[in-house]
Amino acid sequence: MPRPSSTSLSAANLTEPYVQPAADKEIIGLSQVTFGYSRKRLVLQDLTLSIRQGEFLTLLGPSGCGKSTILNLIAGFYKPLAGLVTHGGEPVKGPSERRGVVFQGNALFDWMTVEQNIAFGFRFQSLSKLEKQQKVKTIIQLVGLQGSERKYPYQLSGGMRQRVAVARSMVVQPEILLMDEPFAAVDVQTREGLQEELLKLHEQVSGAILFVTHSIEEAVFLSDRIVILDRNLGGIYDETLVQLPEPRYTPMNRVSDAFNQYRTDLYLKMKAIG
Amino acid sequence: MQLKASQQTAQQIAQQTAANAPKFKGQDLKTQELRERGLLFCVGIAMPVLILILWEITTQQGWIDELFLPSISGIVTEFFAIASKGYAGTPLMSHVLASLRRVFTAFGVGTLVGLLLGLLMGYYKYIRAAFYVVTEILRPIPPLAFITLFILWFGIGEISKVLIILYAGALIVMLNTMEGVRACPKQKILAARTLGAKDLAIFAYVIFPAALPYIFTGMRVALSVDFGILVAAELLAGDLGMGYIIQDASTFFNVEALFVGILMIAFFGVVSDFLLRLISARVVHWQG
Repeated sequence: MPRPSSTSLSAANLTEPYVQPAADKEIIGLSQVTFGYSRKRLVLQDLTLSIRQGEFLTLLGPSGCGKSTILNLIAGFYKPLAGLVTHGGEPVKGPSERRGVVFQGNALFDWMTVEQNIAFGFRFQSLSKLEKQQKVKTIIQLVGLQGSERKYPYQLSGGMRQRVAVARSMVVQPEILLMDEPFAAVDVQTREGLQEELLKLHEQVSGAILFVTHSIEEAVFLSDRIVILDRNLGGIYDETLVQLPEPRYTPMNRVSDAFNQYRTDLYLKMKAIG
Repeated sequence: MQLKASQQTAQQIAQQTAANAPKFKGQDLKTQELRERGLLFCVGIAMPVLILILWEITTQQGWIDELFLPSISGIVTEFFAIASKGYAGTPLMSHVLASLRRVFTAFGVGTLVGLLLGLLMGYYKYIRAAFYVVTEILRPIPPLAFITLFILWFGIGEISKVLIILYAGALIVMLNTMEGVRACPKQKILAARTLGAKDLAIFAYVIFPAALPYIFTGMRVALSVDFGILVAAELLAGDLGMGYIIQDASTFFNVEALFVGILMIAFFGVVSDFLLRLISARVVHWQG
């Protein structure tokens, strides 16, 4: 479900004038997708899933259930053995700048400064120089990287590096951002900070997010909708809509009764899968 | 008055705390490290100095026949003699420049060729597959084995000398570049692709810089090999170059001039490697 956009950054013009996306207009569709490294060992079978414009969707599920595979299929890194992956109604043919990807780590360009990393996607876009600079500046402020613009990735902590990675993907405003356990490698405190910033960014930059995680807490805190995948090609086991008080990034949401209720429900469902 | 009193107390407290502060015993890790580094440096310098002293003493005392090992002072005298009068009728500078021109022409062109092939072979599986068998066969063959063939094909002049050096260096740079490209984490390439980069941009902004540390390693190895091949190439034919001095001095048992040739090549080899290392540290600053 789309959230109202905050106006605090309208001056910076990071986003187009916020247009409320049609509530359930599909941006990504998987219809009866089957995939496996070989035909005899499938990872996904006949999976149908729809991602709506602007929503924050999280995939949860036991290891090996195909969460990352779904993400790789949408990104265009893999091709399905059967079925169809579509983006805005068009079949996905390969990687595209309309679908951003944030990896678990190690995807920054070590030879470029923070600023150069973030501005990388703009090399392939025809925007005015001023516009590019402004957008980079805005996103650097949004993720709290001021003062580190000229630093190189090796001079940053793990959390800071992931901030750069998120900013780099988000600044070009993809229609969907695919995140494969992006915060798995950082410590808990840093992780919580990153989650809150991600939610703030999601409010500023229109576009859907598909998030893959093992953590139930992370899923509840971040998502509008959580999809649990079953073991053994079982497909979608459960779907939960999450409604927590706005703004969603308030840390207090983590200790609310509603949050705990969602967590308990999801925990029991995950247990049921085994 | 009251203020002054309280200031005094503050001062007293400060003094007391200073007095009570624990006295550090032993060295902290930083001091230890600095000390160790200093010691290691001294050992590194002491060894060659010791060798030189022993060399000079043994030769001065006549314990070793000058024919086998000339004294250092003898070599130095010979060097100045060659420097002022030239060698075999040619000024020393011409010998040096001839050699350096051969090495650096071959090294420069060889690096470019090796780099291009290495980038393509590293990135495109099919190009790699196409060249794989050929390079695997060529790799273990010492380049010098080809020298007579090269002379047969390209004549006894400058071209075959430069080409044999070029071949040896290019092969090394190519193999290292290829390894560097293959070692580039896949996520970086995919990340670039999802940001809109096409093949050419991926080469320029991702694969090439990612491979740079390997490329520099390859260049350093190639350069030292190139100096080795240079001497061998100049041994064969011609009347110019540091390798020629070595060869000519050997024929006439002029051991002092022989050492002058050897030490000059060592000097230029060390200096150029040092420069290359300096450049490498500047360029690939993100590496350790």
